[in-house]
Amino acid sequence: MTTRPRWEHIRGVLILLHILAVLLMALPAPEGAQRREAWNDPTVTAEFEAWSERLNHVGYETTPDDLKTDLFTLAQDFTEVRKTVLSPARPYARYLGTQQSWRMFVAPHRFPTRLHVELKQAEGEWETVSIYQDPDYSWKADLFEQDRFRSALFRYGWKSYSGARKLFNQWLAREAAVDFPDATHIRTRWYKVQTPTPEMVLAGEEFEGKFVLGQTLSLAPYRESP
Amino acid sequence: MSESVQEVKGGTRWMRVRSAWQAWVEILSTRETGTAMAWTRIGVGLVTLHTMTSIYTSGVIVPLWANKDEGGIINLSDKNWLVQLLGGPSLETSEQLLLMCTVACALLVIGLGSRIAALVALQTSIALFSLHPGSGGGHDRLITNMLWLLVLVRSDVTLSLWCYVRSRRWTSSELIYAWVRYALAFQVTVMYWATGVQKMGMEWMPWGGYDAIYFAVLHPAFARFDHSWIAEVMPLVRVATAVTWIWEVTFPIVLLWLWFRRTPDRDGRLRRWVRRWNLRLIYVVIGLGMHSTVWALMDVGPFSPITCTLYLSLFHPDEYARLYQRLRGRIPRGTAES
Repeated sequence: MTTRPRWEHIRGVLILLHILAVLLMALPAPEGAQRREAWNDPTVTAEFEAWSERLNHVGYETTPDDLKTDLFTLAQDFTEVRKTVLSPARPYARYLGTQQSWRMFVAPHRFPTRLHVELKQAEGEWETVSIYQDPDYSWKADLFEQDRFRSALFRYGWKSYSGARKLFNQWLAREAAVDFPDATHIRTRWYKVQTPTPEMVLAGEEFEGKFVLGQTLSLAPYRESP
Repeated sequence: MSESVQEVKGGTRWMRVRSAWQAWVEILSTRETGTAMAWTRIGVGLVTLHTMTSIYTSGVIVPLWANKDEGGIINLSDKNWLVQLLGGPSLETSEQLLLMCTVACALLVIGLGSRIAALVALQTSIALFSLHPGSGGGHDRLITNMLWLLVLVRSDVTLSLWCYVRSRRWTSSELIYAWVRYALAFQVTVMYWATGVQKMGMEWMPWGGYDAIYFAVLHPAFARFDHSWIAEVMPLVRVATAVTWIWEVTFPIVLLWLWFRRTPDRDGRLRRWVRRWNLRLIYVVIGLGMHSTVWALMDVGPFSPITCTLYLSLFHPDEYARLYQRLRGRIPRGTAES
């Protein structure tokens, strides 16, 4: 057995700690567990319905609501344990960027939302100026379709991101106050519709959606103090 | 049990731990030429450079990286030490960080002071991403992960301006430690495995109809165009969904295959069975196909290119040399497999 210099042993320990940190960071992070209202989204509800049906099928009696409650408690506990386990590795990850919490396409979002922005002139009708990915209504489309903005818009379309969405709506109002001098109000809404099944697409059918998370703001305050 | 038997058992256990530790230290002392890490450096540098320049050229820097009174959506976070050092969060700080990161990435690509360049690119990108956390994704974490490992390796010994300055040649056979390449291979394995085991959506499962990819590519937030046409090729989409999930969850096989290849002196049924096929190549080809498709259909930022850059670490520098010679026609195909 060869005798290695001491620094090679120290390096061995440090690399082992790095690997351990990366492994711990990769522990599943049920971040949604922190936002109970996100569990009421139709996509999440549909997942619970499908899983409870599957579990009943294999002999485990449960209902979607019971499963939701049990998993919410479990996820909360797990998040606490994960937080404790990760605490020694946090400074390393924070200062050297070694986070490894990957949750790519965990479950497809079957009830996506699409941003609609409308403006109102004095005593006029609402006029649509922007629909996400619609070339006929393209105000700010060059920004919205950049990957960084797509990521942000995806979050704003969730009910649980109300704080971030409110700030976004205020920003749209500040921008509209400059770009549309005659407009008096701005309204943002999200069109939420279930993605059609492949069979429906082939038959030319689609689900009926509805507007959610709407907010109307007067542009006057944004002109006075931009 | 007598004391002497216990002592012998304890001693044997200690010898095993000691032997495993020596083997670990030995592996980490392995040296190889720098080709694989040089290509990784160039890849990471190019992807990060594109990420930074696209933030600037697309105009999202003001809405996403400025304070509300400067035209931004939010008041930026001030938690990062570098942000505080540069005078606090503001559009000016964001622009400084962006500029520093861009210059560092350019140096990384050409291979000049690459460890310092990687450190600057790492710290400036961590600072930039911390200012508005809601505007990024997992690919940002992957970029910083790779930059940190590039800080720890002399990735500019070959295929670099530094190599040319020192030797008037663009390539060199100077040896560097191989452990950073091993760490990157481990990183890609953990990444795929972790994302695979977290795919709990019913649509990824056989009883969910394997419709996950169909719904993912139709999501308006990330779809490049309207992809309703994929409803016409559902059998293919379902096969792709199943393959993706199985491929991710079983990715650790690649690490096992690499280990078996590294220790050819050992024998065993599993080793013989696994080494019968070039599993690494199969996994890499599937990965490239999957990421090309994601890139073509969805706009998820630098996710596909930065992930594919990790694949460069799965190949030994000698394999790059053989590929180069094969491309130049010096080695007939099939004669260099040793």
